[in-house]
Amino acid sequence: MSQTLTRIIKHEWKILVADRTLWVIAPLFALLIGYGVYNGSSWMRFQDATLEAAKQEERERFARAKAEVTSIEQGAQPASAFSNPRLPSVAASRTGPRYALAPPAPLAALAVGQSDLYPYYFKVTSQSKQTFTANDEIENPTNLLAGRFDLAFVIIYLYPLLILALSYNLISAEREQGTLAMMISQPVSLRTFATGKIGLRALVVLALAAGFSLAAFLLTGAGLSADGVWLRLLLWMAVVGAYGAFWFALAILVNAFGRNSATNAMALAGMWLVLALILPALLNVAVTTIYPVPSRVEMIQATRRASAEATAKGSQLLAKYYEDHPELTAGGQADTNDFYTRSIAVQDETDRLIQPVIDHFDRQATGQQSLLDRFRFLSPAVVAQSALNDIAGTGAARYRHFLGLVDAFHQNWRAHFTPRIVQKALLVADDYDRFPAFMFREEPAGAVAGRAMIGLIGLLIPALLIAWLGLRALRRYSVAQ
Amino acid sequence: MIAQIARKEFTETLRDGRFRWAAAIVFVLLFASVVMGGKHYRDVKRQHDLARAETREQWLRQPAKNPHSAAHYGIYAFKPKMAPSALDRGVDPFVGQSVWLEAHKQNEFRFRPAQDATALQRFGDLTAAAVMQLLIPLLIILLSFSTFAGEREQGTLRQLLSLGVKKTNLAWGKALGVAGALGALIVPATVIGVIALAMTSENGSLAASAPRMALMFMSYLLYFISFIGLSLAVSARAKSSQMALVILLAFWIVNGLIATRAITDIAKRLYPTPSAFAFQQAIDREMQSGPDGHDTADKRAEALKQRVLKQYGAEKLEDLPVNFAGLSLQEGEEHGNAVFDRHYGQLWSSFERQNRLKQIAGLLAPMLAIQSVSMGLAGTDFAHHRDFAAAAESYRRTLVKKMNDDTAYNAGKQDFGYLAQPALWRTVEGFRYESPSTGWALRNQTVSLAILVLWVVAILVVMPLTVAKVKID
Repeated sequence: MSQTLTRIIKHEWKILVADRTLWVIAPLFALLIGYGVYNGSSWMRFQDATLEAAKQEERERFARAKAEVTSIEQGAQPASAFSNPRLPSVAASRTGPRYALAPPAPLAALAVGQSDLYPYYFKVTSQSKQTFTANDEIENPTNLLAGRFDLAFVIIYLYPLLILALSYNLISAEREQGTLAMMISQPVSLRTFATGKIGLRALVVLALAAGFSLAAFLLTGAGLSADGVWLRLLLWMAVVGAYGAFWFALAILVNAFGRNSATNAMALAGMWLVLALILPALLNVAVTTIYPVPSRVEMIQATRRASAEATAKGSQLLAKYYEDHPELTAGGQADTNDFYTRSIAVQDETDRLIQPVIDHFDRQATGQQSLLDRFRFLSPAVVAQSALNDIAGTGAARYRHFLGLVDAFHQNWRAHFTPRIVQKALLVADDYDRFPAFMFREEPAGAVAGRAMIGLIGLLIPALLIAWLGLRALRRYSVAQ
Repeated sequence: MIAQIARKEFTETLRDGRFRWAAAIVFVLLFASVVMGGKHYRDVKRQHDLARAETREQWLRQPAKNPHSAAHYGIYAFKPKMAPSALDRGVDPFVGQSVWLEAHKQNEFRFRPAQDATALQRFGDLTAAAVMQLLIPLLIILLSFSTFAGEREQGTLRQLLSLGVKKTNLAWGKALGVAGALGALIVPATVIGVIALAMTSENGSLAASAPRMALMFMSYLLYFISFIGLSLAVSARAKSSQMALVILLAFWIVNGLIATRAITDIAKRLYPTPSAFAFQQAIDREMQSGPDGHDTADKRAEALKQRVLKQYGAEKLEDLPVNFAGLSLQEGEEHGNAVFDRHYGQLWSSFERQNRLKQIAGLLAPMLAIQSVSMGLAGTDFAHHRDFAAAAESYRRTLVKKMNDDTAYNAGKQDFGYLAQPALWRTVEGFRYESPSTGWALRNQTVSLAILVLWVVAILVVMPLTVAKVKID
C-alpha cells in the first residue's frame, strides 16, 4: 500500500465524515438491520416455543400411556381394543409416536429463508410417510407472498442500494465540482485515486454491515457457544463482503464510462433492477419450464389409486407378506385374518406402487435445484440469497438433510414395531422408554462451508473481473467534460 | 395550449432512445408474462378438471361398504382458478391446492406450490401484475423526473413561461404528454395481451371474466395516474433533476420493496396467529371436552342418549327404531363443526385483520392498495381462498351427514357391520363451486379502492399547485 493511497483514504474519510450522506445512511442502515434481525429472531423464538410444546406433549402422552399400560397389566380393561396402549400397533401410531424435531440452526435469526414454508417437526408414526410429512406451519398466505423483513432481505436488496448511493458519483461528482482536474494535476493516477475512494467506502460500509449485524445478533440473546457459530458468522460476513464488493466494482465500472452523475445513478439503478429483481424472476421461469415439477394434484390421485389397489388385494398381500418374512412368524402360527399385519402389508404395497411417482417428483425437484445451482451465478442476488439461507440453515439443503434423518428414523421406527405387531407382542410400561428416539444432528459445518465457498467464489470472480475492467477503463477517462 | 404541450412532450419522449429501450423491455416482459400466465392457468385448470372428475369417480365406484367408512374415504376438493389469475397469481403459490374432505375433520389445504419450488420463488413471480406494479411506475419515473427540473436546468423553462403559458396548463400538458407516451406502450400491450389470452382460453371463460379484467385495467390506470402526478410534482419541486430522480427512486423502493415486507411483520405482531401445533391442540381439547372444559364426550353421549330415548319414548337403546351409532356419529360431527367454526373463524379473521392493515398502509405506499385490488379481481387473494375453503367445508358436512343419516335410519341393529349399497354414493351430488361474483370481489376491496382514488384525487390537487410554484431558476 503506497503512501499516496493511505493519504487518499485519510482524506476521503474526512470528506465522508463532513458530508451529510453517511450520517443519514448509517443510522438508517442500523435501523433496517436491527428491525431485520429482530423479526428473524422472533420467528426463531416462535419455532423454539412450538418445539418445546411438542416435547411436552410427548412427555405427557408417554406418562399417560405408561400409566395405562401399568393399570392394564394389573387387570384393568383398556378403553377400547383400538386404543389399547399395550398393543404395538397402537403404540406405533397413536400412543407412542415420537417427534422428529429440527431446532433452528444457530444463525437462523439472520435469514428466515425457506423456513416459513418448510415443516420443522414431524410426528413420526409407523404409517406411510405421506401421512405425517405435510405438516405446514400456519401462516397467512398474503404474508408468505410478501416475504419477511429479515436481515437477509436487507442485505440482498437494500445493502446494494446503500453501496450505490455512496458510490454512484464516485468520480463523476469530482469532475462536476471541478475538483477532479485539480486532483489529477497532483502526482497521483486516477486509478489510485478511485481505488482509495472506493476502498474507504467499502471499509466503512462493510464495517457498518458487520458491526450492526453482529450487535443486533448478540442483542437477541443468541449464544456464541453453539457448535460452528463462529465459522458460520465468518462465512456470513464473507458473503456480505463479497456481495458488497460486486456492487462497488460495478460502481467503478459505470463511473469509468465518464457519464454524468444522474446517468450513472440511472444506469446503476437499472442494473440493480435487472440483477436483483428481473433476472431472478426470469431464472425462476426458466427453471420451472425446463424441469416442471409434476403436479401435486396428480400425485394425490396416484396415491389414492395405489391405496385402493393395494387394499383390494389385501388378503393376497397378507399371504405374500408372510411368505416374504418367514422370520416374523418363526415359531408361531401365521394369522391369515390379522388386521394389523394386513394393514402393514397393504401399506408396504401402497408405498411400493407410488414410489415411481414420488421418484419422478424428486427427480424434477432436484433437477430444478441443480439447474438453479448452476445458473444462479448470472445474478449475484441469487448467489447471495442461496448462500445466506444456507449459512443460516434455512435453505433447502438443511431441510433435505432433516428429511433424510427423518426417513432413516421412520424406517428405524417401523423396524422396531413391525416384528412386535406381527408377533402380537404385548408391551409393558418400560417398553415405552425403549422406543427409538430421534436425534437431530446438525449438518457438518464443513459441508456448509464447502457450499458457501462456491457461492463466495461465484461472487468474487465477477467482482474482481468487473473491478479490473473498471480500473482499466479509467485509463481512458477524460477529466475534462 | 395544453394539447400543444402534450404533443411536444409526447413526441419528445417517443424520440428518446432511453424510453424506447425501456419501453421495449417492459413490453416484452409484459407480453411474455401474459402468455406464460395464460399457459399456467390452462395447465392448472386441466389438471384440476381431470382430478375433480377422477375423485368423483372414485367416490361413486366405491363398493358396498359401511357409510362411515365411505365418509372416512371422502373426496378431495381442488381449488379452481379463474381466467384473470393469468395476470396475477396472487397468493396461489402460497396456499395449498387441495383439501381432503373426510369424516370428523376439517383439514388444512395441503401442498403449497411454493414448497415444491426453489428459493427463487421468493424473488417473486414474473406476472403481468408484477410488471405493472413495479416496472411501469419505474418507467413513469424515468419519463418524468426531469420534466420541470430538466427544463429549468436547460433554461427552457424561463423561455416557455415568458411566452405567457399558464403554469397549470403547463402541468396538465406535461401530464397528458407522459400519459400519452405511456399509453403508446400500454394500449398495444393490452390489446395483444387480450388477444393472446383469448386465443388460448376456451370459449366463454374469458368473456365471463371480462368485467373483472376491465376493472383491473381501470384500477391500474388509477395507480399509474398517481405515479405520473407524483413524479411531475417532485420534478417541479426538486432543486435539480438529479435530486428529483433520487427522491422518486427512493419512493419507488419504499413503495415497491420495503413497504410490503415491513408491514407484514408489523401486522403479524399486532394480530398474532397461533402455531399449527397450538391450533391443533386447542381443537383436540375442545373436541374432547367443549370450550369450557366441562362438556366432556361422556356427558354429551349421555345427554344424546336421554334425548333420543325421550324423543322415541323408548326405555333402552335396543328399543329404538333408529340406529343410535349413526345418531351419535352425527352428534359428534355437529359438536366438531362448532369447534372448527370457532377456531378456523378466529384464525381466518386474524388473517383478514392482517390483510386489512396492509390495505390501509396503502395510504403510505399505493402499491399495497393496487396489489390488494389486483389479487382480489384476479380471484387470487385470501378472501377467494377462504370462500372456497368454506364451500368445500360445507360440502364435507353435507356428505358426512348423509352418510351418518343413512346409518341412523337404515342400518337397523347392525351398527358397523351394516353395508350401504353404491346407490347411496350417488345420492351425494358432485362438488360444484361457483366462483364469487365481481361485485363480491369488489366489496372486499373497498378500502384499497378508496385509497387508490384518494391518491389520485390528492395528487391531481397537489400536482398543479406544486407546478404553480415552480421556481424558474
